[in-house]
Formats: sequence, structure tokens, C-alpha cells
Amino acid sequence: MEMQSRVVGDVEVLAIKGRFDNTTAPAVAEWLEKNIGHPRIRMVVNLSGTNFVDSTALATLVQGLKRCRQQSGDLHLCSMERPVYMIFELTRLDKAFNIFVDEAHAIQAFAS
Amino acid sequence: MSVRHLASLRSIGGSHRQPRQLKSNALLARARVVRPFKMTVLSESVQFHSPSLAYETQPPVQNVERMLSVVVSSHHNQLTAIADVWLSEGASSFSIWQRGQLLRSWPAVPGDTREVMLTVPICIDENIVGELRVSGTNGSKQAARLAADADLVAALVKLEDELTLMTAELVNSQDQQVALYRLTRSMSGMVSVEETLNSLLCEAIRLSHASGGYVVFMPASGAPLVLHRPEVMLSEANIWQCFWQAQMDEQEIIVTPTDRSGTRLALAEVPNMLFIPLRTRGVVNVGLGLLKPVHESFSNPDIKLMRAICDHASAQVEKALLYQESFEQARMRTEMELARRVQLDLLPRHLPLVPGLDIYAHTRPAMHVGGDFYDFIQHARRPFFFTVGDVTGKGLSAALLMTMTRTAIHSKASFMPDPTPETVMRQSNADLYDDFTQVGVFATAFIGQYLAAERRIRYANAGHSPVIYRPREGPATMLRADSTAIGVLPASSSRNYTLRITEGDLLIVATDGFSDARDHNNERFDYDRLLALTEEVAQRSAREIVDAIYEAVDTYGSGRPQDDDQTILVIKGASL
Repeated sequence: MEMQSRVVGDVEVLAIKGRFDNTTAPAVAEWLEKNIGHPRIRMVVNLSGTNFVDSTALATLVQGLKRCRQQSGDLHLCSMERPVYMIFELTRLDKAFNIFVDEAHAIQAFAS
Repeated sequence: MSVRHLASLRSIGGSHRQPRQLKSNALLARARVVRPFKMTVLSESVQFHSPSLAYETQPPVQNVERMLSVVVSSHHNQLTAIADVWLSEGASSFSIWQRGQLLRSWPAVPGDTREVMLTVPICIDENIVGELRVSGTNGSKQAARLAADADLVAALVKLEDELTLMTAELVNSQDQQVALYRLTRSMSGMVSVEETLNSLLCEAIRLSHASGGYVVFMPASGAPLVLHRPEVMLSEANIWQCFWQAQMDEQEIIVTPTDRSGTRLALAEVPNMLFIPLRTRGVVNVGLGLLKPVHESFSNPDIKLMRAICDHASAQVEKALLYQESFEQARMRTEMELARRVQLDLLPRHLPLVPGLDIYAHTRPAMHVGGDFYDFIQHARRPFFFTVGDVTGKGLSAALLMTMTRTAIHSKASFMPDPTPETVMRQSNADLYDDFTQVGVFATAFIGQYLAAERRIRYANAGHSPVIYRPREGPATMLRADSTAIGVLPASSSRNYTLRITEGDLLIVATDGFSDARDHNNERFDYDRLLALTEEVAQRSAREIVDAIYEAVDTYGSGRPQDDDQTILVIKGASL
């Protein structure tokens, strides 16, 4: 798994590539923990290069989402490949997250 | 000085001391650093020297000088014999002097200093350490004889000095051996890397007489470690820069007030530093740094000893790492065994007997036990409930959270008035949400209720998959969840849905251990294969269907270790 982070305006963006599972999830959890520090935090996790997520990965994203919302912020997901999106659909996590087709829309959504 | 000469000296002194061939390297090294005196001629006699002038203009050889007074005391009888010969041959006194001070005279009070006097310096390696004086006699023969006596005394002084140095070196070497032994003993009891490194640091500071030091450890995984003693003397940023430099260059760093070339770092706060990288398991991952104030540098013996200690410590660190790993593995095995017991002990011990239903369930924990569970709630005069769930995470924590989830659902289904899957799910979510948020997990769950009169199953699905329903006439389809898993959102949006479960209708509720099972190409078994397999085995009994699915997944994995728990519940409509 590869992680790349950057800041676009006031939005923290994390791009994850490769397998996102119980072995790689701790690094993502650590990044989220480190960056969810201030009120109204805005985050986007770009999953365009992620070909697999397991339940630990989902739990990590859910925990990040909860922490952001506790801070009156939000965590958007974007650019999911079909197999990954299917897992979100099957587990109905698509109801918990705001999921966007690409990063630009995910960032733009914070403005509205 | 010849060996023969030495032998005669030994017989004169009656000494039991070591012959010259044992002379230490340290003495040689010391002899080289002593700058020779320049000889100056004494005015009274052309062949004699003036030690007092030499002392004033040249630096004294203090250690050897001290030895002269030691020799005068320790060889008093031999010197008296020499003096007696001079006195018996007409000399009025024989005396030994140093820096213009009388050390000893025969007779005890020297004669008239205005008398004719012979004076001969006692020279060692061209350094004047004292002089012999004889009063009341003169002549070249006497002068030559006195010079021979001076050589004899010089030889004694030199031997005494060598002996002292050798003794000091022996003591030092013995001290180092004791130190290494102590280090070995103290480290052998250390079970953690931190304890071992702390012991290394303490002993290294003590033995090198450093004012302080630090040790750094960069483990293959986990947090790096920096220990300081007695306090922080160098910033961690500089410590790590030293470490990376030493790791890259694979050599020690030595910094002195005048030579900063050992490091590319500024290290303005460090006057004297010795940094030794330690290699464990083939890589430099430990570094020992020692610091001394500006006027105290690290000597070559210091550096050699520190190297020896570090070599020894490397082996100890490797041992501690091995111990830690085996301990960690044992701990993990114990935890997994506990988790497995928690998981298996809480499963229903018997399959329920429900008229009109053929029920079979099984779970198979993975090596790293997850949080799968299934449960049946069957009480007289209450509806029959069943659940399958999966808590995220692995190991004991997942097993414990699984018991929480199972208990929450079980108690609500058992005691709520008119429970339905929807109300049980919503209430369980409300109960568990805060705790799950606290520890960062969630649990998918499928809760079903058998409506015997209608021969239907009422169910609610909180993010659980795969769930397959195949009506008697087919085809098999995936039943998608309608709400998120327990613990994701503060309020569950679960709803009740119903399915027909008459004879031949089939419901399979499994966990993602089946759909996520991978083959040797890392490809998942996935839902399509499960659906196709369901079509294939739909006519069999619940037990046979469970067996067939396990077998198919095992064949697909072709011996690959199971990554996740695999739990499956099959309910098939049967004749009443």
C-alpha cells in the first residue's frame, strides 16, 4: 500500500493505493489520528488506487469519520473502484459516508 | 642497557622483579613522548653536567624523578655499600641529589660544600633525574667510577619505573577484564533491549570516565529508543544525525576540540565525543555516544575498550531481541488460544430443533482469531431468533467485543416485549454505539426471526454480507443490507424484511471469511462463486450445504492458510 497526503485549500487529502487491509490500516489510522486535530476538520480519502478493503480498513475509515464529525467536520471518500464500492454498498457504509466520483467533487462538496 | 647489565643490577638490588623483556608497550609509548633534555656543561669540570640548569630550562620528567627517591629508600643497603667504598678510599662524603635538594648523604651530614667535588648526573633516556656527588676526592678514575655508579642508579630507577608502569597497566587491564565480566554478568540477566542498552550505557560511562552519554536503537519495527545518562547532553536531532552518519559510513565518530573532521555535523555543544555504531543482525541499528569535557579526551585504550564492550553488547542485544520475539510469539499464541476459547465456548452447544426448518451452523476460527459469531435464541412461548455477526479486528479484543455484541442481541431478543429483528438491532446499536466508538470498531449483524405461522423469516441486516437467499424455484440472490453495521451511526436505520421459508427455500448467512478467501493468485472467492455454488448444492440438506461450501473454499485456497474466521448458518425450509 502507498499513502500520499497533501493539502488543498483547507482540505486534508489522503490518497491510498494498493491493498487496504488489516496490515496496512494502522498507517492510515495513524495519519487520521495525527491530522484530525482541529474543529471543522475537512478530509478527503481518495481510494482511486485501492483494489481491496477488508473490515479493518472499513473500521479505520469509520473511526476517522466519527472523529471528524465529533469535531463538526467531515470525511469524504472518492474515486472508488467498482469492487471497493460494492463492499461499501453491501455493508451499507455508502449510507454513512459521503462518497464522490472524484477528488474535485469531494473537495467541492465542502464548499457547498 | 644490556641484558647482562640488568642481570647484575638485579643481583645488586636483590630484586625479584621482572626482567626487561616484559617491558610494556605503554612504557615504550610513554618513552617516545618524553622529549629529551638538552645537556649543558658544568663550569667546574669539563666532563660533568649541570642538572640544576637543565631543570630550569627543560620540563621535568616527573614520574621517573619520583622513582629516584623510591630507589634511594628501597635500595638503601646497596647504596650504603657503594658509599662505604667511596668513604673508605678517602672521600669525605657520597650523596644523591635531585633538583638541588639532598635526597641522602653518607655520612648523614655532607661535608664542606667548598671541598673538591665530583658531580655526575643520573641520566635516563637522556633525561637528567638527579645526580651523584662525591666530596674530598678528584681524578679521572674516580670520575669514571662515579659515572658508572650513576649508571647503576639510573638502571635501578628505570627498572623501578618500568615495574610501576607494568603494575599500573596490569591493574588497568585487570580492571577492564573485571568490567567486561561485570558487563557480561549484568547483561545476561537483561531480558529487554532497553535494559541491555541501559546497562551498556552505564558501564561504558563508568569505564571510559565519560561525563555522560546516550544510546540509540532503531528497531526493525516499532518506536525508536534514545536513552540519556545522566541527563540529556546532546539534542535528539544531533544524536540521530550522528547515528545516520555512522550507519552510512559504518565507522566510529571521534570529535575533539581541535579536530571536528570526524563528523559533518556542527555539534557546537560537544567538545569531546566518541560515537560507536553497533551492528545487530547484519545492520547498524544501535549507537553508543560518550561525551567528555573539553580537557579530557578519549585515549586509544578507552576507544579499544569501548569497541570491545560494544561488540559484546551487540551479541546481548541480539539475544534480547530473540527473547523478545519468542516472548511476543508466546504471548500472541496465548492470546489467540484465549480468543479461540472465548469464541468457541460461547457458541450454541446444540442446534435448535424448529419444526419446518432444517438448520445447520458452523464456525472455523482463523489463526488470528476474528470476531465472528452465530447464536440461536429459543425460549418457550417466544419467537425463535438467530443471528450471525462479525466484529472488526482480530485477537482477544475482537473476541471480547464479539461477546458484547452477542450478549446485547441475545438479551434483547430474550427479554424485549414483542421483539422483532428491527427493534433488537436498533436497541443493540444504541447500547453499543458509544463503546464501539471508543475503541474504533463496528459489528455487522444479521438478525432473523422465524414466523412459524406464516412460514416466513423476518430479518434485519446491519451491513452484513454475504447473505444469500434462494427460493425453491431459484435463482440464488444476494440479500443486501439496508442499514450500516452496529456502531457506525448513532441511530440505526434497520427495517424488517421478510422471506418465504417453505420447503426447499434456502437462506445462507455467512461471514466475509468465505467471500474474501483467496487462491494462490490472491484472487478472492467472491460473491459470484458463492452464488454459483449455492445453485449447485441447493437441493442438499443444510448440513451438506455447509460441508460443500467449506470444501469448495478450501479447494479454492489450495492449502493457503485461512486469513479470517469463516462462519456459516444455513436454514432451509423443510416439511412440517
